[in-house]
Amino acid sequence: MAPARGTCYMIRQMSKAAPMPAVRGLTSRDGLTAWLLVAPAAVCIVFLFVVPIGYVLLLSVTDPTVSLDHYRRLLTVPLYANVMLNTFKTSFIVTLACLVLGYPLAYVMARRNDAVAIILLVVVGLSFWTGFVVRTYAWLVILGNKGPVAATYAVAGWGRPPQLLFTSFSSTLGMTHVLLPYMVLALYGVMRKIDPSYLRAAESLGARPFGAFRLVFLPLSLPGVVNGCVLVFTMCLGFYITPILLGTPKDMMISQLISQQIEDLLAWGFASAIAVVLLASTLVLLGVYNRFAGLDRLWG
Amino acid sequence: MITTAARHVPLMLASVVALFLVAPLAIIVPMSFSKAISFEFPPPGYWTGYYAQYFASHSWLDATANSFIIAFGSMVFTLIVALPAAFGFVRYRFRGKSALNLVMMLPLIVPAVVSALGYYSFLSPMRLVGTHVGMIIAHSVLSIPVAFLVIAAALKGFDRNLERAAMSAGAGPLRTFLWVTLPVLRPGILVGALFAFLHSFNEAVVAIFIAGRDASTLPKKMFESIRLESDPVIAVVSTLLTGAVLLGVLVSLFFRQRNVQRSANAA
Repeated sequence: MAPARGTCYMIRQMSKAAPMPAVRGLTSRDGLTAWLLVAPAAVCIVFLFVVPIGYVLLLSVTDPTVSLDHYRRLLTVPLYANVMLNTFKTSFIVTLACLVLGYPLAYVMARRNDAVAIILLVVVGLSFWTGFVVRTYAWLVILGNKGPVAATYAVAGWGRPPQLLFTSFSSTLGMTHVLLPYMVLALYGVMRKIDPSYLRAAESLGARPFGAFRLVFLPLSLPGVVNGCVLVFTMCLGFYITPILLGTPKDMMISQLISQQIEDLLAWGFASAIAVVLLASTLVLLGVYNRFAGLDRLWG
Repeated sequence: MITTAARHVPLMLASVVALFLVAPLAIIVPMSFSKAISFEFPPPGYWTGYYAQYFASHSWLDATANSFIIAFGSMVFTLIVALPAAFGFVRYRFRGKSALNLVMMLPLIVPAVVSALGYYSFLSPMRLVGTHVGMIIAHSVLSIPVAFLVIAAALKGFDRNLERAAMSAGAGPLRTFLWVTLPVLRPGILVGALFAFLHSFNEAVVAIFIAGRDASTLPKKMFESIRLESDPVIAVVSTLLTGAVLLGVLVSLFFRQRNVQRSANAA
């Protein structure tokens, strides 16, 4: 006999205050069912993602002719080595800036349990979910020659402001702003799980507040620091929107070079070769991370 | 005295950083009411003319409609694929699971420019560049890991005693699934769906490469307007989008608080 809807409703309600010990993470070994469940996603990703990426690889050695010339060019022409170097340097600066700015914010969000924490959560959520283009546009206004910075210079009588827009400064600043929420959420995810009683224990044993932070909280938050840095650094390496809208061709990043090759020169083969190098750099970094931490945790 | 002042240092730092995050977004709002033809702040005068322009402009309204259609289509497609996958990964052990798990994460790992280039060369022989179908395919695949991670996390926290209780009360597997498992997992699935929707709605890079003219989305249209003509309607669109996100964040926070309070009452 099938149970009444009421029974199922009751069972559902039990989920909200389960009196018996929960049984979680029980897995069974039924290969066929498992594969049937996983197959649609696996097929989609292999045929609609891995295959397109394969096209990039293929294009990089076949367009316009079958050769490794593109890679030879990338390795030997100093301009391209400079672009690579500049990309890594900028990504490093952005990551560091995000960490320095993000740590105190995540710390306050994780340690407080009041209206302040909620307001900060709204601020971070708002910037996290507002698209890259919108936030980059805001910096175009702020740093532009009719923007608030220029207006401040005029009011204060300092004359013309320095050229801010379309410099490596504006692109670094914009990327820091755009990627900061990722760092904050990665840190917050780990910090929230740190039991506050550890800190109370340290203080009751005589540690000063800063000592308790340095000796207890900081080491426990390090996994979040690693996650946030890996996430921001790898996102920054291939970042497209912000460097193109705010940056300068003088200090190009990889994505600008790709865009230039395609839009100005229609050099799809060479652009693909650059993309392959970008992909390889990202995979190496994440491969190292995966070796030590397991990739699943990155997005926590 | 020094220690009490020192106690406030983290909060002060956090407030400054929060201001850095939110101030640029706040500047967009007065910009959208500005009379200036180009990016100018503070505005020389205020009007609502650019709002009228947005609501009268075919190209902006088309881009808005395309964004919604593509995001909705991707969300549905993503859910159909990611939901069973989450069950497979959380509830079963099988050969090649960890390798397949890495494959599932690939769309999150590969930089967007690389995927965009790939999709362009992959979709053009099929004549799918510049079509809604092409965009939905690309965005769905990019959203699969996002929805998968969210739903798998919800499923890991699911108490299987509930299913046993239903089964021992005589419910078959299907009935248990539809009447117990799915309703309990509903919040997780909804969040996964919302993430998939927003992932597509905000995605710009792949859209720039493959959306073409006919399937152009808001982020693509904005990117191109900023680069080519600095159309002041961008401020209007940005304000509307930021407002929608703010509303969404507040609503989700409200539901979260209510759930927290409910479970506190139940316990």
